[in-house]
Amino acid sequence: MKPRSNLTACAKLNAALLVAAFSSLSATADEPAPLTESAAVEFVRDHCIECHQGEDAESGPDLSLFSTAKDVSNSIDVWNQIATRVGERQMPPQESEQPPAELRSQFVAWIRQTIFAAVCDDGVSPGPPMIRRMNRTEYANTVRDLLGIPINAAHALPVDGAGGEGFDNASETLFISPIYAEKYLQAAQSAIGHALKDPGDRKRIIVADPSEQRSPQQAARMVLDAFLPRAFRRSVSEEESQHYLDLFTQAFDEDGAYSSAIEFTLVAAMVSPKFLFLYEQPGKPGELTPISHYELASRLSYFLWASMPDAELLRLAAEEKLHDEQVLAEQVKRMLRSEIDGGGLRRDSKVRGFATSFVEQWLGTRALGREFKPDPSIATRYDSELEGGMKYEPIFFFEDLLAENRSLLNLIESDFTYVNRRLAQHYGVRGEFREQPKRVELQAAHHRGGLLGMGAVLAVSSLPHRTSPVLRGKWILETMLGTPPPPPPPDVPSLEENAGALKPSSLRKQLEVHRANPVCATCHDAMDPLGFGLENYDVLGGWRTRVGVARIDTVGKLPGGEQFNGPVELKQLLLKRKEQFVRNLTRKVLGFSLARGLTNEDLCVVESIVRKLAAEDYRAQTLMTEIVKSVPFRYKQTHPPTE
Amino acid sequence: MSVTVRPRVNSQNPLSRRSLLRGTGAALALPWLEAMMPKQVSAAENEGQTPGDAPIRMAALFVPNGVHQEMWTPKGVGRDFKLSPTLQPLASLRDQLSVFTNLWNQGSNVGDGHYVKTSGFLTCTTINKSLGIDLNCNGRSMDQVAAEHAAKQTPIPSLELGIDPVTTGVDTNVGYTRVYGSHIAWSGPTSPLARELNPGLVFERLFRAANPKTGSGARDQLLLDRVLGDASELKRSLGASDRQRMDEYLQSVRSIEKRLQSQQLEGVKHWQPLVDLDLADRPSDQRPDQYVEQVRLMLDMIALAFQTDTTRVCTFMFGNAVSGRSFSFLDGVSGGHHDTSHHQNNQDKLRQYQLINLWHIEQYAYLLNKLAGMQERDGSVLDHSMILYGSGLRDGNSHSPHNLPILLAGRGGGRIAAGQHLECSRDTPLANLYASMLNAFGTGATRFADSTEMLPGVLV
Repeated sequence: MKPRSNLTACAKLNAALLVAAFSSLSATADEPAPLTESAAVEFVRDHCIECHQGEDAESGPDLSLFSTAKDVSNSIDVWNQIATRVGERQMPPQESEQPPAELRSQFVAWIRQTIFAAVCDDGVSPGPPMIRRMNRTEYANTVRDLLGIPINAAHALPVDGAGGEGFDNASETLFISPIYAEKYLQAAQSAIGHALKDPGDRKRIIVADPSEQRSPQQAARMVLDAFLPRAFRRSVSEEESQHYLDLFTQAFDEDGAYSSAIEFTLVAAMVSPKFLFLYEQPGKPGELTPISHYELASRLSYFLWASMPDAELLRLAAEEKLHDEQVLAEQVKRMLRSEIDGGGLRRDSKVRGFATSFVEQWLGTRALGREFKPDPSIATRYDSELEGGMKYEPIFFFEDLLAENRSLLNLIESDFTYVNRRLAQHYGVRGEFREQPKRVELQAAHHRGGLLGMGAVLAVSSLPHRTSPVLRGKWILETMLGTPPPPPPPDVPSLEENAGALKPSSLRKQLEVHRANPVCATCHDAMDPLGFGLENYDVLGGWRTRVGVARIDTVGKLPGGEQFNGPVELKQLLLKRKEQFVRNLTRKVLGFSLARGLTNEDLCVVESIVRKLAAEDYRAQTLMTEIVKSVPFRYKQTHPPTE
Repeated sequence: MSVTVRPRVNSQNPLSRRSLLRGTGAALALPWLEAMMPKQVSAAENEGQTPGDAPIRMAALFVPNGVHQEMWTPKGVGRDFKLSPTLQPLASLRDQLSVFTNLWNQGSNVGDGHYVKTSGFLTCTTINKSLGIDLNCNGRSMDQVAAEHAAKQTPIPSLELGIDPVTTGVDTNVGYTRVYGSHIAWSGPTSPLARELNPGLVFERLFRAANPKTGSGARDQLLLDRVLGDASELKRSLGASDRQRMDEYLQSVRSIEKRLQSQQLEGVKHWQPLVDLDLADRPSDQRPDQYVEQVRLMLDMIALAFQTDTTRVCTFMFGNAVSGRSFSFLDGVSGGHHDTSHHQNNQDKLRQYQLINLWHIEQYAYLLNKLAGMQERDGSVLDHSMILYGSGLRDGNSHSPHNLPILLAGRGGGRIAAGQHLECSRDTPLANLYASMLNAFGTGATRFADSTEMLPGVLV
């Protein structure tokens, strides 16, 4: 088949180009020239292995055996962390002798270059064919779209956990417990039952009834021909159709009732794994194989809508046009659409399916009202409308970036946001608002803009009864920059014992005492100052300048010596790290789109997209289009059998 | 295992093989035919139970974040022990109670402070460190060993219940998916069991299982045959490594099938509980807002399920690992659970921590009292139960799995020597207790996971 081999060749070419791009890494941009391998080994010997050797390597990696670039490519995760921690001057610890600034950046550049060379060496390789059940959200959306009725059919299904990059669509954590089949059967019976009650809805689903000209079998056949390809998201073979027609006939023969027999048959289709599972046919073991056009339609729709493909996607798949890059780009644009009505409000959009699932899980704001509930004693004015406003602010904001193709750097700093009536009051924003979130232009006096001004973010990075600079700092490092600090070492002395007779009165002083311990300091020196920059926001993100009588001190100083005061300057500091931010965001979106954890091979793709974004003003649609066009998204590779 | 079949003329009318096959279609799994035997002589009962005895039930209640240790351990050992402050709510149930000191879970002594100690709580294994891809508990939880043993005796093999939905996200800080912190029941190394969180839905499920719609069996079987056909077809076309998922679904569908078939065998149920599920006990569809009520309703469901013999095995999680639930609804408590458990020897935090522990024990006592009040022909449901209570770590500040806080209540049908404080030698495997419980349950087991023996002194 010609198109197939063309595609494969094209993917290989892409991979080759990428490798070329990375080998010339040192020549581009204003990045420092990397060290040589031997100089890097020397750097580690001079600055690291005094502590990092042997089994007791002070709860860090053992670097005493490091001697070649190969060691780096063998433990990429560890070396990524080393690059971050040395680059951010968290290592070597402050009390140790510090390497000259230029040497430090050259060492980091060498690590990064070595990693990229390693991950891009074998070309880009896609993951295995997808097989997973729909998650709870996708099930609800799919039943809604399949039957065309606004119900949540998934309300009784168990809640899914997350895997991979932190999302609940990751195939590795979508388990099937014995309870599922029963739940799916109940859900399908009640959804179909509900849909067929309304005569208008029934007509759309039961497209034919028996009549004098039409036998019950003929009518059922027409219903199934319309329903099955949509339910199974692909064309359906004659044999498959016949199976379901046989099922109808057996049920019909029992009592001669057409309606109950066809309803029963549709329920069966909705309990079939062909409906419940997103699965792809295996390719030739070991070979890069493009996914089929129908498989691509489903990948697109479950990525951008968290639901089934619509008629247009299924038509393009049937015509085998979806792999065409022009067509793909147009479809992405169409799928990201979100209309604004006369009142300035965003209508229901399908892309909200993606925005909601992605944003809530990336930012951790799904915890609001679940794992995180503010303590009633401090959150006296917390109600469901405020909680709703907080929850939806980052979702509508992100949807706006996608639909209007704005810069992703708005996530760090922006001059607009989305608020409802209660959130507007909470932020002190004037205007006409109702229960639904609406876009609002921000002024400096509002103290908002970007993720770090959003109530939901500030709340889920707090404790229920007080703010925590540590947790907020950790949130920035982990969620925005993708550089989570390691867990505290097991033998860390407790805060109180450490404080001894000093009895620090404020949290800041207490944490300073904590950081006086070098074991704690290496991480807390990086975390705590970031969090202090946000102390003007209370547990729910309300603006404050005092706690009790004490004026809030929002000065922070990072290990590298960078100093800032308050959220505005903190955001400037993050903008300086925009590439790291965009790299992490790209990683997250790619992981979500592939519904699995990323492998080192995927990092090569992440890097090429980050470059493309830098060249195109960090446009949101560039990110989405590049992901959809990428090799991991459009190809599959069946692992050769082991043994 | 050899079973002596002694046909009795007056036994409860077992079906002929012929009528059975006519009723269910040819998809019948062979082992199931065992169910056609008069139940009085089924395997379980050949192992020590006399016909007509109430069956043994088993539940495990998990509490996150450990306990305030100085307030936990009773004074004195053996039968003459004095309840500790935290265990006071159990005073009236003292004769039904076994308190264990010095049990530990070696498998969970690595990794991190919470996740390994939650998923490993009932498996006594070391789980894989994973964000998802290599997720594996490397074993099976003890409740599932019991569930498999009792599976054919009740409409539902086991119930998995909780309050908190699976915690969102993965913990990149320590390198574990939070799935681990949200499950204690594992039917296999890669199969954590989903939990039901809504008491109304639990009741519905129990009721549906116990009261099949009459006459719907044949049609349901047609549907299941079609679904199983599709699953087998997909399984054939998928790559070898992908077949496991489809197998999981096949098993899930088969579990409905088994129930259908057992319903058609009605009349051979060998043990008749005094009470059937009553729709009047059905909780509202809306889950209550208050944590206290949510917990109480879930405990009610366990009691009902046991009393009506709808299932004999149940696990319940008061909260997920690292739960930060606010307990400010208790007088004198202001903080979240996890934050408070990191007490740093601060007296005020310790005081609050103990109040939270005490509240949990009160709920345990609530369930036990409820079971004790449910009369069977011979004793109460509690007399025929083993209700385990515990946490995967001892002290929230140090996260140590040494000397875990573990309680057992109920006499296990007379097999458990209740009413004592058992002080074991230091670092006795928790699995030794589980081995004893499984043995008392009737599985015939004498070992479980890393157990070295059955725990001396537990069984009568």
